[in-house]
Amino acid sequence: MNETATTTLPARALIWLLGAFVVLLAPQWDRLPIWLTAACLVLAGWRWLAQQGRVALPGKLWGTVVMLGLIGVYVATVQGRFTVETAASFFVLAVGLKWLETRTARDYYVLFFILCYLAAVNFLFQQGILWTLLNLAGILILLVGLQVLNAPEAPNAPVAGWKRLGGLLLKTLPVVVILFIFFPRMSPLWSVPLVSNQARTGISDTMEPGSISDLAQSSERAFRVTFADGLPPHRERYWRGLILDHFVDGRWEPWQVQPRRRAGRVLSDGGVGPLQSGQYDVLMEPTYQRWAFALDDSRAVSTNIEPTADGLFRFRRPADTSIRYRLALDPEDGGELIQALSRRDEQRYLHLPAAGNPRARELAAQLRADYADDSALIQAILQRFRNQAYFYTLRPPEMPDDSVDSLLFAAKRGFCAHYASATAFLLRSAGIPARIVVGYQGGSPGADGDYLIVRQYDAHAWVEAWTPSRGWFRVDPTAAISPQRIESGLREAVAEEGSFLENEWTSPQRYGDIALVQWVSLRLDLLNYEWQRWVVGYQGQTQMNLMSRLPGNLSLKDLGYLTAGLVGTIVLAAALWSLWRQRRPGVYRPEARLMAQWLRQLRRHGVEADRSSTPMALAQAAAARHPDGARQHLAFARALNNHYYGPAPLTRADRRRLRNLLRQLRRRT
Amino acid sequence: MIIGRFRQRWRRWIDRRIPRSDDQQFTQKNIFILPSGAGVVFGILLVVMLLTGINYQNSLIYLLTFILGALFVAAMHQTHSNLSGLHLALVEAGEGFPGEPIAFRLRATAKQAAFAIRLAPEQHDAHTIHVDAGAISEVELATTGLRRGPVQMADIRVDTRFPFGLLTAWSWMRPQGQGVVYPKPVMPPYEPGGDAGGETSRRDNQTTDMVDANIRPWRQGDLSQRVLWKRYARTGEMVIAEWEGEHRDPQWLDYDQFPGADRELRLSYLAALVESRSHDRQPFGLVLPGQTIEPDSGPLHRQRCLRTLGRFGFDTAPEGASAA
Repeated sequence: MNETATTTLPARALIWLLGAFVVLLAPQWDRLPIWLTAACLVLAGWRWLAQQGRVALPGKLWGTVVMLGLIGVYVATVQGRFTVETAASFFVLAVGLKWLETRTARDYYVLFFILCYLAAVNFLFQQGILWTLLNLAGILILLVGLQVLNAPEAPNAPVAGWKRLGGLLLKTLPVVVILFIFFPRMSPLWSVPLVSNQARTGISDTMEPGSISDLAQSSERAFRVTFADGLPPHRERYWRGLILDHFVDGRWEPWQVQPRRRAGRVLSDGGVGPLQSGQYDVLMEPTYQRWAFALDDSRAVSTNIEPTADGLFRFRRPADTSIRYRLALDPEDGGELIQALSRRDEQRYLHLPAAGNPRARELAAQLRADYADDSALIQAILQRFRNQAYFYTLRPPEMPDDSVDSLLFAAKRGFCAHYASATAFLLRSAGIPARIVVGYQGGSPGADGDYLIVRQYDAHAWVEAWTPSRGWFRVDPTAAISPQRIESGLREAVAEEGSFLENEWTSPQRYGDIALVQWVSLRLDLLNYEWQRWVVGYQGQTQMNLMSRLPGNLSLKDLGYLTAGLVGTIVLAAALWSLWRQRRPGVYRPEARLMAQWLRQLRRHGVEADRSSTPMALAQAAAARHPDGARQHLAFARALNNHYYGPAPLTRADRRRLRNLLRQLRRRT
Repeated sequence: MIIGRFRQRWRRWIDRRIPRSDDQQFTQKNIFILPSGAGVVFGILLVVMLLTGINYQNSLIYLLTFILGALFVAAMHQTHSNLSGLHLALVEAGEGFPGEPIAFRLRATAKQAAFAIRLAPEQHDAHTIHVDAGAISEVELATTGLRRGPVQMADIRVDTRFPFGLLTAWSWMRPQGQGVVYPKPVMPPYEPGGDAGGETSRRDNQTTDMVDANIRPWRQGDLSQRVLWKRYARTGEMVIAEWEGEHRDPQWLDYDQFPGADRELRLSYLAALVESRSHDRQPFGLVLPGQTIEPDSGPLHRQRCLRTLGRFGFDTAPEGASAA
């Protein structure tokens, strides 16, 4: 360490370090505040310019000023929230600041360790296959840089470095695979939930009239579903997420905010084994929320979700990584006993603010007077939406006051959230218990139609109403206004308007009509899906399930022994192999080879000589035995001697010349 | 105290395990390997990463940890094999004056390419070499001798951290071949030879008296102008007259010229005179008790004389005495 501590960092190694930093920073780009990313790049750039001698690295004073300044900005933006995310940001900041005092080879190692850990932190936030590859690429760049650092003068170091690294990776691949499969997946030693404070695309737990149309502008994936019995038709794909039953200030909220649960042991059983008939697997992207999405009339199969009273499902802790769960559809029997609403529930589902939206209330009273039957009334409302000139649009006008009134009587243009809100309002005004359900509707088939991809633009809001004869049932006003939305999705529903993903230039979904783009995007998604299912999701129960197919009932402990045994065997085998390889005699040295050839040749011709003789002694012995070849023998010995002890190394041409000489000798003797 | 004793014992064990030799082949038997400081930190990092993976149940962190861990083990093999298969041979032992660096020339060859091999003699600057497979790479390492006489290269630590610097594989090369430290040149208070009348006259007498007795056959290295060509023409025999008369007599530097000085001082005087004669390109000969170097000039002659002075009194000692 003494030496590396003082040697300055060679520029060649620094490039690799900087490159790895940029690559490893990339997976966090959408999470980090802009100023932090910019600061990191500036600091790294500063270090690079300093290496080239264009600027100086800051002295102690300036270094401290820069450090305190950036930490000050960080503290100001974090505002005392401590989460894994803010910790990760601070980590990135620390790496950035380290650039200003990266001077020696030892600092390379410090940054190497930090960046390795940064890659691990990246995996907390991004687990897609491409991000994984990018992270691994960052690590490999670091390792090539290490080789350059350790042998800066070696010719063509980067190329040789990649080759060597590739060879090492290939050789270690079996061990890595065995470790990955067999290493016992223990449950967490302590639990620190990855709570995010940053807004993530996705459904939130309040609904203002405009909120869902924002989601409609995003093609981010929400979740993917594999069905045991093939995809259900589009119009039946209603994914219920959460229920909003409290209307206040023109906004829908849950009646009760869910109590925050203490973080505890999390069962990671996401359902194992092949799907049984009627079952489906959902692989959800992280939402940092506790709700899960499920079709109507589902029941939980895996134990990592638990049902709530409203027929919804909840995780035990916020979904901070992608998470898989399994549900089963109950066969529709209809013979269920419909339980009457309790008085409290009835109040809750009929509650409306005391004032506001007078014309809607008037309309509800009118309808109530016309239709005594609840179902007929509901039909009348849908009929109204169908017959009158209501439009389904992603570009609704502003409706600041009395949103229900302005939608129903003035604007007549709105998105699902507007119509759901208005419908629920009308129903409640007419004395029918109603609630808003938020979730997704639809989804598009993935590659080969094997599974369903549900994206953010499939986000939807609809209404559930309650009648004594039918219990809770779905009422979707959007289906009345824009049947395409329900039958085939948002793209078709707003096709005329041309507003589909109008702000997402880079999304492949935007170019759905170009077959190649679509094909590539679907293939990529399939790759990612399999990756998430088999590699990212290889945890706890999945592992145990795989292991249960092996003979013998393996417990976690057995797995530990098995892993140690397998890896130990491989390492031992490798050691034995290299030992055996080294035992093979002979140092490769061209002179020695020539000498050995000569010696063999002489022995064949009866010259007594042993391995320890010098070339001159051999030549004399040979000359004594075969006097006519004496001159050649001597010449050969002299040439050999020159290379053995002289300053001139044996070149290829020399070797050829000596070999020729040897051939002549064979003829002579 | 205990550490010191342990170190001594370790030292002795190493000395037994790696005997002095001018040829050193690095193999499983004499290579040691341990994680470097960075390697230890890396190990700790892997444990921390594994804990992170366990706690967040994150398969990809497991995967990353396994990849890095396996690479660490593979790097152990790589570092070891980088050194093993390397062959070091002492080609030329160095010589020089006391306090000067004395260069020992080593030749490195390798079965497979060896990168970033550091050769570090004790208390001297390290050299880093790369040896390509089948190629030869030469390196000169310096040692300093403080006292006149044969000098051995201190133990050379041969180590490498290639490729990742996380592990150090090391061994020692302990060359047997001896270099020479010349006597420290000290200019004598008076110049012997011309001034020292007694000496020359004694020789004069010898020369005139025993002309025939001092004729000897030509040997390699004799100056051609000293051949008795007349005699050659007559008999066909090339002979040299040992003492050929005063005016062509080269300056003889004689050990016995300095009465009263002790041995080391005499040798120092002689060394200084060898240096000044060589500098002036004058031929000279050297007479030491028991050996004589014929008069000659040139750098090889100078080196031969200095080497003889350096070795004087040591060559009788048994060869293996210092190489125990």
